[in-house]
Amino acid sequence: MKTGYLFFVNRLIQIKKMKINNKTKETQKQSLLREPSKVMKLDRLGSFHQTRLSFSRQLIEQLKNNKWTIKISKWDIDKNGIGNAIISSVKGANEFCLVVFCHPINDQDRSDRVIAEKWDMTFSLFNGKPTQAEINYMSKNLKVQEAGHHLPKQMTLSRANKSVRVFNSVLSSLSEGKQPSKTLINDIGYLVRTTAVYGNGKFGIGDFDSISENSFLKKPFQAEMLTVYLIRFFSIELINFLAKIKGEVSSVRLSDEISKHIGVGNATGLGMAPFLINHPELLHKWINARETAISKVLAIENLDIKQQNEIINLLNRALSYCTQWKVDDQNQSVRIKNLRLDLETIINNPSTKKLLSQTYPLKNIFDFFVDQISLETEEILHSIFMEPFSNLVENLTEEMATVETKSVPIKYKIKKVINIIRQNYDWALKVDVNEQKENHFFWYTSQAKLEPRLGVQVRDHGSEKQLPFDIAHQVQNTLKLLETLPENMTISEVMIKHPETRNIIRRIIINDTSEYSEIQDNLHSDKTKPIDILRCKLSFFGASKYDPKSDLWTRITLFQGAPLPHQLQEKNACDWIFPYLSDA
Amino acid sequence: MLEVSSNQIYSETYKALRSIDIDWGIAKDSANLCKWLATHNQFFLGSILKTTDLYKSGNISTSVNDNTYDKPLSSALMGMVLVEYVASNNRTWEGYLNSPKFLVAAMDLISHEQKCHLELSDRHHNIIAITDKEKLYVDLNSLSNKNEYFFLNVTQKNKNININELNLYDMSFATKVNKKCWEKLKSMAFDTYVPESDASKSGAGY
Repeated sequence: MKTGYLFFVNRLIQIKKMKINNKTKETQKQSLLREPSKVMKLDRLGSFHQTRLSFSRQLIEQLKNNKWTIKISKWDIDKNGIGNAIISSVKGANEFCLVVFCHPINDQDRSDRVIAEKWDMTFSLFNGKPTQAEINYMSKNLKVQEAGHHLPKQMTLSRANKSVRVFNSVLSSLSEGKQPSKTLINDIGYLVRTTAVYGNGKFGIGDFDSISENSFLKKPFQAEMLTVYLIRFFSIELINFLAKIKGEVSSVRLSDEISKHIGVGNATGLGMAPFLINHPELLHKWINARETAISKVLAIENLDIKQQNEIINLLNRALSYCTQWKVDDQNQSVRIKNLRLDLETIINNPSTKKLLSQTYPLKNIFDFFVDQISLETEEILHSIFMEPFSNLVENLTEEMATVETKSVPIKYKIKKVINIIRQNYDWALKVDVNEQKENHFFWYTSQAKLEPRLGVQVRDHGSEKQLPFDIAHQVQNTLKLLETLPENMTISEVMIKHPETRNIIRRIIINDTSEYSEIQDNLHSDKTKPIDILRCKLSFFGASKYDPKSDLWTRITLFQGAPLPHQLQEKNACDWIFPYLSDA
Repeated sequence: MLEVSSNQIYSETYKALRSIDIDWGIAKDSANLCKWLATHNQFFLGSILKTTDLYKSGNISTSVNDNTYDKPLSSALMGMVLVEYVASNNRTWEGYLNSPKFLVAAMDLISHEQKCHLELSDRHHNIIAITDKEKLYVDLNSLSNKNEYFFLNVTQKNKNININELNLYDMSFATKVNKKCWEKLKSMAFDTYVPESDASKSGAGY
């Protein structure tokens, strides 16, 4: 049953007993979840920010709680930064090693794009400790990435390029005994930038299913996140190593403050977009966990003084973060500016502190400001509100993975499916599929590195090979067909007689029980901005500093502000939302 | 022989079937059945390639009602929908099948996901495969690649059966496949990609 996003106190429903903390009143409540028709719009999905539920945050929690140890177990890098290294991460009896190869590369060969064929560094996360024979094998195959043959013990495959300007500048400063310019570090945010991180059986590496008994991999994208976290550690160790060689006794190491502000860059293109459309059950799980977390924190009845101050601090931290979030993209610059103004308004409005001390503080603050703030601000408020309440939201991270069903449930009859379409796919039925503007784009896979791309119908070749992302069109055609058939016919019989409907009927039936499984916009429309899909997925990864380069790709930073390996056991190691570098 | 992951088996089969215009939903089913066979140490690659040849030449049926010895129903393509159809309508289906091992894979998947018990028997009503709760009993020796007449029905109770249980926990995620056959499958998959052009580069924001 669908429910509205209503925060009236008398409509709060009981879910289960949860303790916020010793000082806070126990609550048994959460608000009703927001309607999918509100949440699953591209412009809102494209306004999401990192939250406590993001996969990089989950990884750091995992590393801290299970007392992982991370160390360099092999360092065979020469004075030019070329060679092989192994970073070992150990959790109890399990060891996962990041195998690194650094290669010489000409400046003109260095490209962010997935179609590049040479990189400064190539990586693989290896399940266990690799033998010398396995290292030799990987030395030949990792450097060619997709074109190589890979071992089942390899859990990920990745590559990165140096951000040459930052890398050379930092190297120069450290070797001269100085810390690098904080402004430069903040403006770029990383020493190296990955251009792909593949996992789960891609290109012959190991399937996660094969080692899913290991709890570390039960949560989504943890192998990929560990890979990126270890790449970040490697990049910092590499610059320290090279600075020492260059500057000898006069060199210094990067300070912890600056190291912590260094993340890993990533150039993200359309390759990420089809994932959310191809995995509707998983998309639902992610969004449902996020919406449930939001509803739980909005249902908090009272905050103690410490918690009130924490919310104020987080609002200020978010504002500081925004002042250091600088991009060239005009549209995103305007959004950031508005976000900053909104946050200033919320911080400076006397009602904020007042509302925080009253009942249902977070819900009331949200309701008070919602009509005067942007979508970016609405969603950053949700990130802020979740942040202090790890006890409330942590369990939800267990709900963010799924085993996707292979069959279509057999209990459905035509009448029921027609009802689902009319109730849940109202957005699709409203699309005028005969209008040219609703058929502007098509999605396809390019021969170049199998990269997903967006074609323009009237301009580009290849529409006959398009991916089935015309959901609105398929829904309308299927509804027309179903309306001509007996309403008590089983949907299995429909699919056996009309196999062309199976793809969309599967989606529709998934949506019956997984309401957040469908992006509720026509992905073929001329208004579609794929960057919104990318941003949604990247927010679940825990990206920060989205830096769109067009509607089709963006740069981001991962793990900026995250604790360094030696800081993992510090008290506040897991509190690293909204990275900020003072004096930058 | 070449070692490939189950993820590769799924994705390359899916695309290869799309290259010959098999419907999206059916191609996905078939890819899942190939993955099931591979992870349960059963050959699949030769059979799926043969299926694509038969489909292209019009010598295999995708109709539950219209199938013959010479043009049997493809269990690789229609296995999932057929089992769902039998289970949802609680009826018996009978007819000629090609490569029934795909149907057995579908029986196991659907039995697990939808908690229904299914039975496949040959023209003499000898049980070839039966699902029972979390178990699958199957007479692998009777699952030839020849076209045969079969009965598929829902079964309500456990039966005394003298065929072996397939150990569903004996799974292999990296599978060795014939290199030549794999390359053929991959080249079919490659046909679903659009050649690079200046226009297509702009479609990636270059």
